[in-house]
Amino acid sequence: MNKIITVKHLSKTLGDVRIINDVSFDVEKGEFVAIQGPSGSGKTTLLALLAGLEKADAGSISVGQENLTSMSEDQLALFRRNNVGFVFQSFNLIPTLNVVENIALPLFPTRLRSSEVFDRSTTAAIDVGLAERLKHYPNQLSGGEQQRVAVARSLINNPQVIFADEPTGNLDTKTGEKIIELLRQLNKEKGQTFVLVTHDDRIAGESDRIIKIVDGRIGE
Amino acid sequence: MLNYAIKELLNRYRSYLLNVIVIGLVTAMVITLSFLGVAYKEAACLPFKDIHGTIIVQKNGNVPENVSGVLLSCSLAPIHQDAVTAISKIEGAQDISSALSLWVFDPDHFKRVVGVNWQDNYGKSLSSRVAEGAAPGTDQEILIDKTYAGKNGLRVGSQVTVAGSQFTVSGIIGMAGNEIVAADVYLNMSVAQDMAYQSKNLQAVERVDKTDVNLIFVNAGQQDLTLVTQKIKQNLNEQDTNAGQTPLGQTIGNYNIYTPDTFEDQISTMLKLSDKLTWIISLVLFIGVCLIIARNTLRVVLERRKEFGVLKAVGYTGRDIQKLIGMETILQVLAGFIVGLLLTGIAVFILSKTTVSIAIPWELSAYPHFLLANPDDANIVQTHFLPIRLELLPVVVTFLGVLIVGLVTALLSTWQINKLKPVEILKYE
Repeated sequence: MNKIITVKHLSKTLGDVRIINDVSFDVEKGEFVAIQGPSGSGKTTLLALLAGLEKADAGSISVGQENLTSMSEDQLALFRRNNVGFVFQSFNLIPTLNVVENIALPLFPTRLRSSEVFDRSTTAAIDVGLAERLKHYPNQLSGGEQQRVAVARSLINNPQVIFADEPTGNLDTKTGEKIIELLRQLNKEKGQTFVLVTHDDRIAGESDRIIKIVDGRIGE
Repeated sequence: MLNYAIKELLNRYRSYLLNVIVIGLVTAMVITLSFLGVAYKEAACLPFKDIHGTIIVQKNGNVPENVSGVLLSCSLAPIHQDAVTAISKIEGAQDISSALSLWVFDPDHFKRVVGVNWQDNYGKSLSSRVAEGAAPGTDQEILIDKTYAGKNGLRVGSQVTVAGSQFTVSGIIGMAGNEIVAADVYLNMSVAQDMAYQSKNLQAVERVDKTDVNLIFVNAGQQDLTLVTQKIKQNLNEQDTNAGQTPLGQTIGNYNIYTPDTFEDQISTMLKLSDKLTWIISLVLFIGVCLIIARNTLRVVLERRKEFGVLKAVGYTGRDIQKLIGMETILQVLAGFIVGLLLTGIAVFILSKTTVSIAIPWELSAYPHFLLANPDDANIVQTHFLPIRLELLPVVVTFLGVLIVGLVTALLSTWQINKLKPVEILKYE
């Protein structure tokens, strides 16, 4: 298998606290990886570093052909737009945009034609089971539906890797299972790499591999 | 992205309403002030429409000892042909017209008489207002004013005696009576000049030649007006170097030069105020727009901090977000500008129903007040509707001004977006 993510000696300090401490690991292309660890262990910070939302203090991260360590803020933004998708715990949809528009959000600043943008986002909405909710606004959707919109939004730019931070954290168990089922299905059908942070052992059990983080280090 | 900006504005219109209202009010005030300034300037030109010129030149003369027979109106002095020739040579002075305004104290009654060159602009202007008959074709024919004709039961073909000579009425002219150099009788210039030349009472106080006039009308374009007026003043001063004391002890040789500026000064203090204050008021209003847009944009940026964090997380650069805010600002400016134009339209409609009163200087509307029961009746006032109208240039300039001010202010107010790190969005988790 090919490596899609390579992390070497990664460190990140916030204030006086070293959140990530000399972490190194690889993720293979098409893998479904869970990052687990106790609260405050640094798993969300690690995910932010991998997704280019945060810059590391030391070490290196490569995603695909891109080396994130040397990128400026704007270069990181473009990297995120073109290479990664992100699913948040609390969905983070734009309240003034409907389902199709929320899914299309990452494509608005691109040079794609408006019709193509909306065709793609409509297809993505249908793919995640929201065919009946295309014109609905976030406040008209259930939590599970909102997270489906967030998942579709993370896939709209056809990324190499999708990062998810506690994607079921705000959902009930049954809905959470459906979301994980959806992510797994997408992983299998499209071969995209998924890296998700979770504290739920059942979800972690569904993954190909678990990376455990304890006090900013990779644990056993 | 435009769709996003539109939906943002529509869904949170309460947040942006203040911007739209402020832009609308400022636009309306700046454009209306601009229109008002132009309208007052145009109003000051309205009295000149009657003479088809923009500059009137007169020369002050001496009061005759004996007020009878033929006199120059208002004790004006004759202007000799060399002065007319000198003015006609001034660059920018176009279409020189002249007239000779006389007071004729005939035994039966008084008449205001004007000698006219029917081929010059002033003469053509009078000819165009002949309501009945035609302009005089011979020295024995005259044109009479409609009111004068009515009072005296005259019609085309009637005989009228002026300064002892018989004339036939060739036409009747429809004048309002408050025009510059309004008269009862209009006749050929050479006939009027001969009357003045023959007048002993007049010759007693002024040297009158057979070709003299006492009114010169100069047409100068708006751009050349000030320059031409200055040159006329310089020129006439040179011509007037021999000015001295008259037998009555009055200073002669002072020319009166009337331009639209003469009336601008008297139309209203509003013109002066609007002229001087337009820039200051506009500047203050634009600063107000800056402050309000900046305050509102900052508030909205803070409110949307989480949203902008999401945008950055999904791949928006700082410039992309500024572009989004720029679009939102342009849409607000457009909405505010449309509101402003509507308000301007209402203001212009109301102002167009107001009138301006322009007092015509006595020397230009001469009637001997000592002949009137009420001397104040000699004071002529023209009343015009304010010629205010919508014009494109101030609208475009104001739009661009508001747009630039709005955009710069809004974009400067978003400086902290660049400092916003996308990871902060995770803090809201």
